[in-house]
Amino acid sequence: MLLDAVRREALPDDAVPRADARPAGSPPPAERAGRGIAVTVRDLHKSFDGHTVIEGLNLFLPAGGFTAVVGRSGCGKSTLLRLILGLETPTGGRIDLDGTAGSPRRSEPPKRIMFQEPRLLPWARVVDNVAVGLSGHGTRAERRERARAALGEVGLAEKAGQWPATLSGGQRQRVALARALVSRPGLLALDEPLGALDALTRIDMQDLIERIWQAQGFTALLVTHDVAEAVALADRILVVEAGRIALDLRVEVPRPRRRGDPDLARLEGRILDHLLGGSETPV
Amino acid sequence: MPASKHERLRDAAIPWLLPTVILLGWQAAVSVGLVSNRFMPAPLDVARAGWEAGRTGELWTNLGVSTLRALAGFVVGGGIGFALGLANGLSRLSERLTDTSVQMVRNVPHLSLIPLVILWFGIGEEAKLFLVALGVFFPIYANTLHGIRSVDPGLVEMGRVYGMSRTELFTRVVLPGALPSIFVGLRYALGIMWLTLIVAETISASSGLGYMAMQAREFMLVNVVVLAILIYAALGKLADALTRQFERTCLAWNPAYRSA
Repeated sequence: MLLDAVRREALPDDAVPRADARPAGSPPPAERAGRGIAVTVRDLHKSFDGHTVIEGLNLFLPAGGFTAVVGRSGCGKSTLLRLILGLETPTGGRIDLDGTAGSPRRSEPPKRIMFQEPRLLPWARVVDNVAVGLSGHGTRAERRERARAALGEVGLAEKAGQWPATLSGGQRQRVALARALVSRPGLLALDEPLGALDALTRIDMQDLIERIWQAQGFTALLVTHDVAEAVALADRILVVEAGRIALDLRVEVPRPRRRGDPDLARLEGRILDHLLGGSETPV
Repeated sequence: MPASKHERLRDAAIPWLLPTVILLGWQAAVSVGLVSNRFMPAPLDVARAGWEAGRTGELWTNLGVSTLRALAGFVVGGGIGFALGLANGLSRLSERLTDTSVQMVRNVPHLSLIPLVILWFGIGEEAKLFLVALGVFFPIYANTLHGIRSVDPGLVEMGRVYGMSRTELFTRVVLPGALPSIFVGLRYALGIMWLTLIVAETISASSGLGYMAMQAREFMLVNVVVLAILIYAALGKLADALTRQFERTCLAWNPAYRSA
């Protein structure tokens, strides 16, 4: 039923092949939608009160790719994400979105973030919370209409009129996902969005995020400390250490990926070894 | 379901049980002669006094005058407190400019200003309005400020990232977030409003409930004095009930305020 919603949503807008009908192992859907924002980071520096968090980081994220950033806490991965989103200003270096310097114009597809907490407005109904994602676009009725559709995509259409306080943790995070997606973003940043969920809900959410990403073709940037999650979702994994990219790995495992796939497990082991042992394994 | 209806009736009756028992005990104590009628009239005497005062219209005039004073003072003081609370919650500069002074004035008991206020304004309406406004100002100011301070910064950041304008951020995130705290201030302020007004009217006035009680004391009409006191209790309860209802409508999203 979720999948149906995604398909319906995907087809009229950008004649994409059905999410699950894509040949296994096909490259990331960069060429499909053309809606993703490419991100170029050059010689990025960031320090807080003289304490350096990001030190000379270079990075290119192709449009429509799914990149995961992993690392120990305090390695600067969240700061990197906040810098790319424009929530922090860099101390040095530059971040270009889609090649255009500085912040994108209003007409370009927006960039959105999903936080670790849902951050829903407790005093607004679920549908109005999703409509927050459309701030300043269209009339109130139009916004609600689109918000309802986005809620359908995450399988919560029937909760539209409820208060957030009545939802479960997983449902709240799905509302937050709908809010992030309702404006059809070109870049979706996910800042450990599933960290507070129980294991089964987390797997459901991972599948949901993957399906919607495949259908909509935005650039996804996931920051997480759950290596298994990174391996399951991303087609590229960056390991950040001391403000630099220490490891840059492609995940060549075809989708849909099976949990417990030996290739994924091997990759996960390798990344964990790197994170824990610090003993450099050749890339 | 008869059981649930019965239960609801019982739930509604429970808060009134204690006042009823006290009233009955009081009536009995006076009737038996345990308490002298001269110091404590029986509830029936008080009711008779109320009936008399209501029939001559004296009660309604005084009640109306007092209510008008209370509301006027509340609107002026509460309005200024709310505005300054907002300003200081939203602007660092405004806060640094005024908060210290406000905190100093706050620690002066406002009723201690009565002699000064009588010198300034005599016993006219301005004196009462000034005192009520001053008393109401602080709880509204402090709680509005606190409410804005305690708005979840995560929500504010979310609003900003999602492209809310400053006005939108205020009306959709900051103000609703501060509302529970503002309501606390409102309820405090209502209590202070009556207190201040009654004291002011008792000391210096030529009309109003407090004046009515003072007049009655002059003529040893103890039952009218007690009547006035009971009316204060009823008015306080009424104001509180109205605020509660208002709270329940405005804060329906908050599980803590939802009616069972």
